[in-house]
Amino acid sequence: MKDIHGYLAEFDDIPGTRVFTAARARQGYWLNQFAMSLMKPENRERWKSDEHAYLADWKMSDAQKQAVLARDYNGMLELGGNIYFLSKIFSTDGLSFAEAVSTMTDMSFPEYREMMLAGGRSPQGNRSISGSY
Amino acid sequence: MARITAGVGSSHVPLLGVAVDQGKTGDEYFGPIFAGYEWTKAWEAEQEPDVVVLIYNDHASAFDANIIPTFAIGCGELYKPADEGWGPRPVPDVEGHADLGWHIAQSLILDDFDMTIINEMDVDHGLTVPLSMMFGRPAKWPVKVVPLAVNVVTYPVPSGNRCWALGEAIARAVKSFPEDLDVQIWGTGGMSHQLQGPRAGLLNREWDNKFMDLLVGDTQDARSIPHIEYLREAGSEGIEMVMWLIMRGALGTKTRCLHRHYHIPCSNTAIGHIVLEPEA
Repeated sequence: MKDIHGYLAEFDDIPGTRVFTAARARQGYWLNQFAMSLMKPENRERWKSDEHAYLADWKMSDAQKQAVLARDYNGMLELGGNIYFLSKIFSTDGLSFAEAVSTMTDMSFPEYREMMLAGGRSPQGNRSISGSY
Repeated sequence: MARITAGVGSSHVPLLGVAVDQGKTGDEYFGPIFAGYEWTKAWEAEQEPDVVVLIYNDHASAFDANIIPTFAIGCGELYKPADEGWGPRPVPDVEGHADLGWHIAQSLILDDFDMTIINEMDVDHGLTVPLSMMFGRPAKWPVKVVPLAVNVVTYPVPSGNRCWALGEAIARAVKSFPEDLDVQIWGTGGMSHQLQGPRAGLLNREWDNKFMDLLVGDTQDARSIPHIEYLREAGSEGIEMVMWLIMRGALGTKTRCLHRHYHIPCSNTAIGHIVLEPEA
């Protein structure tokens, strides 16, 4: 059997990435369940009409609620969100996957789109923090 | 007897579904992608498989954060396209093959794979986009589908080796199904992409193509690629490619490549697909 501690520790060595581990899944449980609730049209309507009131029904931390209201996707990831769940929030906002993803980088959406058309972000130097390769 | 006739590995990027649904498949952006699938569409039309065992991952559509099955097999009669936040895709309902689904589920459990059995679920872009890429926009899908959903979201996800072995067990299960059926197996997802964090947008043409090389012939090297390598080289969502190994495992000891195609980018993702046949 694999060493689970070593297995998990390696994930923290990837630059600019939060691997969705069990610890993050536990932390973000209600944040992700809230996001999931936006798959129902009637919930989307309620959410759009009053975001604060909608969030009041969910057992999320204040920091999670603030990150959602600010559409701070890196903040949501840091607090246990997973992108496939969070995608229900930006889909409800009418954002494309690429535009929403670009907000997590240091680029504007047009810059991000240009980077993707030019072949995407290079893995060179982006694979490992400790190894710098 | 039923038999696995071929395997397909393919990306399942949601934007491809949007392109099909909005009739944009010939434009400057999508044209080169869909051109790459033309050969495969013609080949599928000629092959006329009866059933596809479709390996995919649910993207927080049918399964929420509550229950996380590692391997879940659909044994139902019908699956509806999921509403992923912008309304369901305007595509036909997906007809299941409940007899084959249950047969595979039972066989896998007896073969030491403890499957989760699903009777009713909606299916998201992970399943419907590959159908659109292979069959276009028919009024009714020309195949029945046995969906097999894999957890590639919450870690640990299954290892590449386990996925390959599951594919081998699926092949044994299909072979013991008494009806005369041509069955294809599709592994979907990938290729390199990262949808989160400051490293988002990572693509790796070289690694993706090396991965496709490892699906052809008799090498089993792909079984031992560790999760950390997918994450480092192919981005956090590139891990979806472990699902291609279920397809590869089901094709037996040796494969022949009939067609492959690779294109960058589609939205945040590198697009690839490969068509394989088992070789005796």
